[in-house]
Amino acid sequence: MASVSFSGQRPLIGGHKTAAQVTTDICAPLERRASGWWWLTFLLAFGVLVLGVVAVTYQLFVGIGTWGLNRSVGWAFDITNFVFWIGIGHAGTLISAILFLFRQKWRTSVNRSAEAMTIFAVICAGLFPVIHMGRPWLFYWVLPYPNYRGPLWVNFRSPLIWDFFAIGTYFSISLLFWYVGLIPDVATLRDRARPGWYRRFVGMLSLGWNGSYRVWRRYEVVYLLLAGLATPLVVSVHSVVSMDFAASLLPGWHSTIFPPYFVTGAIFSGMAMVLTLMLLVRKVMHLEDYITPRHVDAMTKLVLATSCLVGLSYAIEFFTALYAGDPNESFTFMNRALGPLAWGFGVMVACNVLIPQLFWFRRIRRQFFVVFVICVLVNVGMWMERFVIIVGSLERDFLPSSWTGYAPTLIELATLAGSFGLFFTCFLVFCRLLPVIAMAEVKGVLPAEHSPNAEPSPEGHS
Amino acid sequence: MPVQPKSSFARSLPVVAWSETIAQHADESREAPGDGGSAPSRRDILRLAGFAFAGAAFAGCQRAPVHYAVPYLVPPDEIVPGRSYDYASTCEGCSARCGLLVKNRDGRPIKLEGNPEHPLSRGGLCAVGQASLLGLYDQQRLQEPLQAGQPVAWAEADQAIGRQLDAIRKQKGSVRFLTGPGVGPASRAALAQFLKTFADGRHVVHEPRSCSAILEAHGRTHGVRLLPHYHIDKAEVIVSFDADFLGTWISPVEFTAAYQSGRRLDGPDAHLSYHVQFESLLSLTGSKADRRVCIAPGELATVMNYVAARLAPKAGLSWQDADPAEPSGGVSFLDHLVNHLWQNRQRSLILCGSQDVELQTLANYLNHVLGNYGATVDLARPSFQRDENDQALETLLKELHEGKVAALFIHQSNPIHDLPGGDRIAEDLKRVPLVVSLAPRLDETARLAHFVCPDHHYLESWSDAEPVNGVASLVQPVINPLGNTRALPESIATWTGKPQTAYDIVWQHWEKGVFPRQTQKLTFQDFWDRTLHDGFAAVTPRPLKAGPFNTATVHPAASPNRLPEGSYGVVLYSKVGMPDASHAYNPWLHELPDPISKITWDNYACLSPATAASLGVSNGDIVRLDSATQDSPAVLELPAFVQPGLHGQVVAVAVGYGSVLSQRFADIGPRWLQAGPTVGSDGLVGKNAASFLAWVKGGLRFSQSTVRLTKVGGQHPLASTQRDYHLNVPKHLDVPGRERRPIIRDTTLADYRQESLQKTKTEAFPKSDDLWPDDHPVTGARWGMVVDLNACTGCSACVIACQAENNFPVVGKDEVRRQREMHWLRIDRYYTERDDGVDVAHQPMMCQQCGNAPCEVVCPVLATVHSEDGLNQQVYNRCVGTRYCANNCPYKVRHFNWFDYAHDDHLQNLVLNPDVTVRSRGVMEKCTFCVQRIDAARSDAGGNGALPRDGVIQTACQQSCPSQAIVFGNLNDPKSRVARLAAGSRGYRVLAELNVQPSVSYLTLVRNRPVEGEGEKHG
Repeated sequence: MASVSFSGQRPLIGGHKTAAQVTTDICAPLERRASGWWWLTFLLAFGVLVLGVVAVTYQLFVGIGTWGLNRSVGWAFDITNFVFWIGIGHAGTLISAILFLFRQKWRTSVNRSAEAMTIFAVICAGLFPVIHMGRPWLFYWVLPYPNYRGPLWVNFRSPLIWDFFAIGTYFSISLLFWYVGLIPDVATLRDRARPGWYRRFVGMLSLGWNGSYRVWRRYEVVYLLLAGLATPLVVSVHSVVSMDFAASLLPGWHSTIFPPYFVTGAIFSGMAMVLTLMLLVRKVMHLEDYITPRHVDAMTKLVLATSCLVGLSYAIEFFTALYAGDPNESFTFMNRALGPLAWGFGVMVACNVLIPQLFWFRRIRRQFFVVFVICVLVNVGMWMERFVIIVGSLERDFLPSSWTGYAPTLIELATLAGSFGLFFTCFLVFCRLLPVIAMAEVKGVLPAEHSPNAEPSPEGHS
Repeated sequence: MPVQPKSSFARSLPVVAWSETIAQHADESREAPGDGGSAPSRRDILRLAGFAFAGAAFAGCQRAPVHYAVPYLVPPDEIVPGRSYDYASTCEGCSARCGLLVKNRDGRPIKLEGNPEHPLSRGGLCAVGQASLLGLYDQQRLQEPLQAGQPVAWAEADQAIGRQLDAIRKQKGSVRFLTGPGVGPASRAALAQFLKTFADGRHVVHEPRSCSAILEAHGRTHGVRLLPHYHIDKAEVIVSFDADFLGTWISPVEFTAAYQSGRRLDGPDAHLSYHVQFESLLSLTGSKADRRVCIAPGELATVMNYVAARLAPKAGLSWQDADPAEPSGGVSFLDHLVNHLWQNRQRSLILCGSQDVELQTLANYLNHVLGNYGATVDLARPSFQRDENDQALETLLKELHEGKVAALFIHQSNPIHDLPGGDRIAEDLKRVPLVVSLAPRLDETARLAHFVCPDHHYLESWSDAEPVNGVASLVQPVINPLGNTRALPESIATWTGKPQTAYDIVWQHWEKGVFPRQTQKLTFQDFWDRTLHDGFAAVTPRPLKAGPFNTATVHPAASPNRLPEGSYGVVLYSKVGMPDASHAYNPWLHELPDPISKITWDNYACLSPATAASLGVSNGDIVRLDSATQDSPAVLELPAFVQPGLHGQVVAVAVGYGSVLSQRFADIGPRWLQAGPTVGSDGLVGKNAASFLAWVKGGLRFSQSTVRLTKVGGQHPLASTQRDYHLNVPKHLDVPGRERRPIIRDTTLADYRQESLQKTKTEAFPKSDDLWPDDHPVTGARWGMVVDLNACTGCSACVIACQAENNFPVVGKDEVRRQREMHWLRIDRYYTERDDGVDVAHQPMMCQQCGNAPCEVVCPVLATVHSEDGLNQQVYNRCVGTRYCANNCPYKVRHFNWFDYAHDDHLQNLVLNPDVTVRSRGVMEKCTFCVQRIDAARSDAGGNGALPRDGVIQTACQQSCPSQAIVFGNLNDPKSRVARLAAGSRGYRVLAELNVQPSVSYLTLVRNRPVEGEGEKHG
């Protein structure tokens, strides 16, 4: 089925590569010294990360008061960032697990980076629920573990507990999945590496991989199982995250549409982030033959589809609010569109619904720079969406007497920047240490004449 | 009045050993923060660090020394550690002298409450009175006498003062004793003796918020300079001309209690008086009026002339001006009002807050025509709460200027701050050979005094009061003096040359002066003990003879000229929470939102929305008030505040701000990267507006100056606790067809009578239709509360009561501006704009203790849970601070500890209630329904689930409410007062449609709005 969708198209991997060439091409950046560009971006990202660390340290010492929150707006940048980063992660799992099960061969060029992105994004996301606590040093109290306080258990009715489970599961499965997929490639790196710390590093990671038929066979079974396990997570994690809002009674949060709405949004923003990264990686690491216009085309189409779904969700939210006749609900949505955060709403609709419609045009899809800009805008829009939902609903709720406003402090801005710094630092280090493209899998989708017979493609055994 | 002991307050406080320990402790703690000296050097730090490390190492090696807490072998009499005792006393927060119960715990007062048996205040106590407790534990209160700013021993100071006084006696120099109106009878007697030793000794009374004109007017019309006692409870029709009697005028707690007793809607004697308020700014009283008429600043005369001219013929009296000028607002309402007044003669009351003696005379005339003297206006038993004399004060200022005063004593008065031309007064004071201030703090005037002989805080000293003729009350010490201060009567006695203790002075005064006026007790000891226990005694009034009404003195008041276009009349007012600058030291009061504007920590120029629009200013923009027309031009730059309900030609400014006492707030609040200051650029809170006070014909006027207004650019952010005040959704966000939010329910009396007949009673705590069975049914008590919106005046006494009871911190202006105030109980104020003004509703909002609490479900760590008696509890030490509960609270009554709020002032910490935890950073907190009081009462009731009688548990907010708007009790007991009110026809619950099942019910606000002309039909 998968092969049908691409039949008659140009090959997925350009440049008529042989399997050996694939290995050389992909390993080359790891074996070269880091370029000036890499150092520049790395220092920039690391600098921003340090800024974020300073900001968070300051906040931990002085108090949450260093954020712009108030009596009515108890969450703002913190949970916005959390939902945003969790959302980013989703594309990785979608690409690696769901597209794998659906036999989308084009995924092979991007799945490694996408999964890495997932892991780094979840790390970024996971920080926020901890640092947003008033007493983060007691964060372990949200874990249900046997204790001498009664024992006192957590409140299983609280969506924050579900969150903890969802994110914990998600992170462990994603990490495992990514790592298992890496094993054949690290083994290749081990074999190519000169003696030194790096060889010991990849040697350890490769778990004694010897490329034998038995190893390959087991590897594929495990990979398939993990893909199966990871698939429901694509839907479940963000559904649970959306429960943080849906399970409350705040108008603008309390909405049954939230789980699918959030999942769609997550895939949307994640895809945009994958595209952003892959377009950069492709250029900087000279992987134009591996990340081809076909890949970009497929991903932009996914972005377009999810954009339409997100737009539909927005419309349904408004329809439900106005149709249901609850005055608080309808006010919240009028307020969202026309109230103090109307500018945020405008940014969110423009970036998430209107601008991605350009992807209907093939010409736009081929303009990589335009695609890049649109994808960045999509992420701006998706961040803003969460901000509008969280802050816009909180700052004007039931009683007009408790209406407030919100403005971020420098500490919050630095923390947001710092999370990007953390993400890009991790990603840049990943680019230097591990292959950004799954060599073993790419070899499986090489045009037939170059396909190495010794390496059966994964679908051959399923 | 016979006094039946209904409750048993503890008797007088013996001189307690415990309080001495407290005093010592206070001394130590006072020294601790300030003893910085030189900064430690690097060597010092290293040495200390080394010592600390070594110490830590040693400490790890051995067991910590065991300290045994040994109980007293002979425990102090009447004291059980951990139990609080109430002592009856009299409040000296202002000169109204309300009855007080001082809650003493472990030898120190921790809370002030109203004395429910007091005939005037009836159990209420205002915000200022309750906050006066903080003054006791004030780090910056003077601890010893000063001579030329340097500490000096009492003996030395007395000697030096005595030498100078002797010289003055010989030279027959003039001695003036300037005080506030609140000096008690015993002290006054001592003062009179003191002044008698001089050839020219005089006592001058000054009150910043003067009502001297009322006394002057009665001097004219009745021949005696008296302040009548107003019986607001006996009035069916109350017409107030600019008198803020519920907020700041003379005796607001007493008046509020009386006002509410005439406005009870529940019970068999349900009726509602009719209250009309004429004013140009929006006062607290105006916000409660059934009909509020907004008039231009000078228009009061026109209105009163018109009313007099229409009323006089009805009484068969002639009026000089048969065809008076018509006020700009038209006369149809005034005609209606005149009819209404006439029908309710002897049951009506005219109050006038003006400082114009002519207007006050006119008000007297109106009361006279209506036959109110002897009915609602009592001259036989007048009020002694105020006896300020502006004319005498002006004379004193003239004498000072001319250098005629040889010695000036100042007590409870700060003329340099409170009077116009303060700089000139300061210059004059410097020429007085002897200036002695008895101020407890170094205010503007005390700084210039040669000697400062600090008076005790009133909780440390013996004193007495007689607020109304025939109501004598005692002030008793409840703690040993914390500093080396001395009570006023003692100081006076010492300077007279006959040193006596304050106790002896008060005792002797009562033995001679008060005991003969009573008939109930045989011996003075009995009488004294009884009075000390009750806090007050009803005695025979002093015979005071007011003459017959002298109609000849009355004539139409001169109407001032209309204000020219482009100029505005300044109306000076005092805030409910900051009556005058003597309270400027008090952080509780500064952080208390003004009941109308909801602004904390500032004064500002209130402008009407139209004026603000025409000047192009919005909240916080700085405007310049420039009074060029006066002889002494006054210029003041203030932040603007747009105040609905204000007259378009008025700029209203609060006095009592900009005091040097507020310098201390430079560092208040958490310090962090983006923290803003609490004080202005001059280091003070607010600006002093006294320069706009005007001396007119020997009286201080509050609304005389006219100013030009200009926008000068620049911003001074105002810290408001409530930004939005509309019950209607803003127009551009409105979905057509939506009604006003039903958060406030209000109706008119006529509608209410019709509805209440139809409305069937509901349950006190209605069950919801749930899919699931109630898994934890509340079978015992379910604590609930009812707040009567009709009774609530918004006076905010409950807010300070809650603060004193529940230890929440003061966070400073910047934090309030960021909407992070910590008040567990807030009072929401909503405006509904009408064609003829605004309707105001005050709604106390605290945790609603939901039966189906949305906060409880979402807490990940079960830090907020439900108790078996229906309370929604917050477990501070389990809270990790996710703030999810606050987000999910539809009432937004949860407060988060954003920072570690300062508790390093050990002296001030003595005010903390030991029954309530002080919360740390990062945890959520909220109203607990005073769970500590519930538990104490349950324990007193015998435990084992036994419930206290209905009404025994009183929450802090309920206890002090002057209008008894709050009722607390068991909703599961259908006979309890709270259950009957909640189930009654006025009961409703805010946001009940969310099925959160709040335990707090509100009672509909009912306004008495007779249709104009209706009065005749039913008359």
